[in-house]
Amino acid sequence: MSETRAPLDRERDPGVEEILRGRRQRAPVSRKLPGPIAWFDLRSRSTGHLAFSLNRVTGLGLVAYLYLHLAVLSQLLGGEDAWNGFLEVATTPLFLGLDVLLVFGLLAHGLNGTRVALVGSGFVPNRQKALFWSLMAFGAIVLIYSALHIFGGEA
Amino acid sequence: MSEGAGTAPHVLIVGGGGTGGALAHDLALRGVRVTLVERGEFTSGTTGRHHGLLHSGARYAVNDEESAIECIEENMLLRRIAPGSFEENDGLFVGITDEDMAYLPSFLEGCERTGIPTQVLKPDEALRLEPNLNPDLKVAVRVPDATMDAMRMPLRFFATARANGADLLNWVDVLDLDLGGGVISGAHVRDLITGKQTRIGADIVVNATGPWSEQVARMAGVDVPIRPSPGVMLAVRGRLTNMVINRLHASGDGDIIVPQRALSVIGTSSWVVSDPDDLGVPADHVQRMVDEGSILVPAVLQAPFRAAWSAARPLIGSRDDADSGRELSRTFKTIDHAVDDRVEGFVTITGGKGTTLRGMAEVCADAVCRKLGIDTPCATRETVLLPHTAAYAA
Amino acid sequence: MTTETTSTRRLRVHRFKRGDDTPHMEEFDVPLGEDATVLEALRWIQLHGDPSLGLRHSCFHASCGTCGVRVNGRERLACVTKLADFSGTITVDPIANLPVLLDVVVDMTTFVAHYPDPHPIVRESGFLPEAAVADDLDGHERYEDCIECGLCLSACPVAATDDSYVGPAALAYAQRLLEEPRDDVDRDALLDWADQDAGAWRCHAAFECTEACPSDVRPAQRIMSLRKELRHRRREQGREVPEHAAGEEAT
Repeated sequence: MSETRAPLDRERDPGVEEILRGRRQRAPVSRKLPGPIAWFDLRSRSTGHLAFSLNRVTGLGLVAYLYLHLAVLSQLLGGEDAWNGFLEVATTPLFLGLDVLLVFGLLAHGLNGTRVALVGSGFVPNRQKALFWSLMAFGAIVLIYSALHIFGGEA
Repeated sequence: MSEGAGTAPHVLIVGGGGTGGALAHDLALRGVRVTLVERGEFTSGTTGRHHGLLHSGARYAVNDEESAIECIEENMLLRRIAPGSFEENDGLFVGITDEDMAYLPSFLEGCERTGIPTQVLKPDEALRLEPNLNPDLKVAVRVPDATMDAMRMPLRFFATARANGADLLNWVDVLDLDLGGGVISGAHVRDLITGKQTRIGADIVVNATGPWSEQVARMAGVDVPIRPSPGVMLAVRGRLTNMVINRLHASGDGDIIVPQRALSVIGTSSWVVSDPDDLGVPADHVQRMVDEGSILVPAVLQAPFRAAWSAARPLIGSRDDADSGRELSRTFKTIDHAVDDRVEGFVTITGGKGTTLRGMAEVCADAVCRKLGIDTPCATRETVLLPHTAAYAA
Repeated sequence: MTTETTSTRRLRVHRFKRGDDTPHMEEFDVPLGEDATVLEALRWIQLHGDPSLGLRHSCFHASCGTCGVRVNGRERLACVTKLADFSGTITVDPIANLPVLLDVVVDMTTFVAHYPDPHPIVRESGFLPEAAVADDLDGHERYEDCIECGLCLSACPVAATDDSYVGPAALAYAQRLLEEPRDDVDRDALLDWADQDAGAWRCHAAFECTEACPSDVRPAQRIMSLRKELRHRRREQGREVPEHAAGEEAT
């Protein structure tokens, strides 16, 4: 490799300096969308990005649910009345709907995570789209079954 | 003379193709302050578009001895100073017809005379090396052709020049040259990155713009005998051969197939234009690539299309010299306009081929340094180049 | 232009000059033949519309990787993307997740800086294995498939929000060096390089890189291979395998 030389004993031409100075100005980074919003932009993207987006949404959702769950459990501190009050709300259709949403989140996140684990272990890395859709199909079946039970089960 | 303290002279190179890059590298090694301006990306003119052949020179062995010798010398040199930039698989000159066979004796003799090593192969030997060759071939001659990445190999010259202090400014367009009292003292340029215009002063301006040499020379009020001569190339999917495959005959259309990664590039044709920016891609030329290429490698007929494009060779020759461009020599020329046209401070280096970039730069740098009174000898024969990624160093 | 018939297509091109300009889109009506590529259209604009348009290109045949852009949001090589593949107005943006140099050209400095050192790009050919090799040659060589175009980095959702991620191209490159060892490649150093948070573990298996790659490099699959190798190594070295290495997706 050639050795790097000491700076030449000659100032740069002022025109060249001007050009170099101009180029040192800040330039924006090219982004499809600013920040994390890009995670959820599915335009011109393929199955893999859908899986990624789904995981982000459900992941955030599950974390939010965790806090909600703690808030719910804290109702126990309020004694039997407080808890019974909560149970009434908890059996309303809206709440049951949210429960179904929770199951959806768990299934989507868990099954997609399973896809990542399998593919990362060398299992069908070239058919990962097919793997994703099969797992989602399985998840859909479990979801429908759960939904039926949640809505149709004991109050 | 341009402003600036210190004693190192300033050379402004116009044109960021292989020649400009190699010249920047050569001059930087000799302690000259170098600025190179290129209106687009480096190698975006003719240099980047060629099929990537590192010439053994055998194609010129019969009709253009000067070019053949230049090629084989530079071929061997480049392998040493740019190791890891070539697919060193050699090439074959394949004879299919009786006319091809009639060309064989003068071909071998020409290679012998110009110092190009050859090995004559029988058809079955050739087919063992390259199973996709036309099974009706009559003979194949092995020569030290190689394949390069037409952009990344020259980029190594840029990388090394930059590391040695040269300022390489791409996206800077030369609008006019500063001519006053018979002296070129600099150039008026526009930086496309900021959109702003400015002036760069220099002791010598070198015109290294290949087929655009005429346009730039006109800014200095001089004429250079350059005819832009484009040729079409066709890339098909599939690496059909590992070696470069040439047709054993005097130059013709579609007589070379060069492997480029997972593609095969078939070239080329030849015609003459006046505007190197407006070449076109004639459909009949593209078809000729398929027709001629499939004679060498029949699988070309089934290979899916990837791209078809044109690139303009800078051929030295006056307007009246030739009609198709094939008759003109592929050698190169340094023109000191102080001698030829009484314009001081302006030198044109033009002609040549991708393979001879370092050699062209040496001759031009020698001439430039003579004008500047510098007697540091050329060091590019021994200097191993930095990897192409160093060209992007911040 | 390879055919006689011309049609006029409208292109919306991203424009930006450093200094006092803000990024904006500019429209041009381009009259070219049906077979024309996006690159030919952009060059037409340069020659007949606006000579200050910055464009990057070199080889014109998907081998140099310099003409990467986003066409209607999708990462493509402009030189082999036909206008006829799109209907209506065609939007051309620079590829994402790298600083804009000018107009539709990005600064590849950080992209290249992510690669591990050294960076040999010629490898064993692997094509035509049935072909004999001449006596005085060791084998057949060829260039790496990867043309360093940056389309993978542009498509990667992780790179969209994390500039420290080395990216699919660099990781895929490291995996190929391990898969096909070449002279002076330090296996351990390479694995150490990949075994960092911003390395192989940052990938979330979206596989968009493989989707965008014009050269069949399949970087996502290679990253998965790399992870497998890293896990083996960690187990051998007796180190604890971290949670996300085992494949459980942490948010």
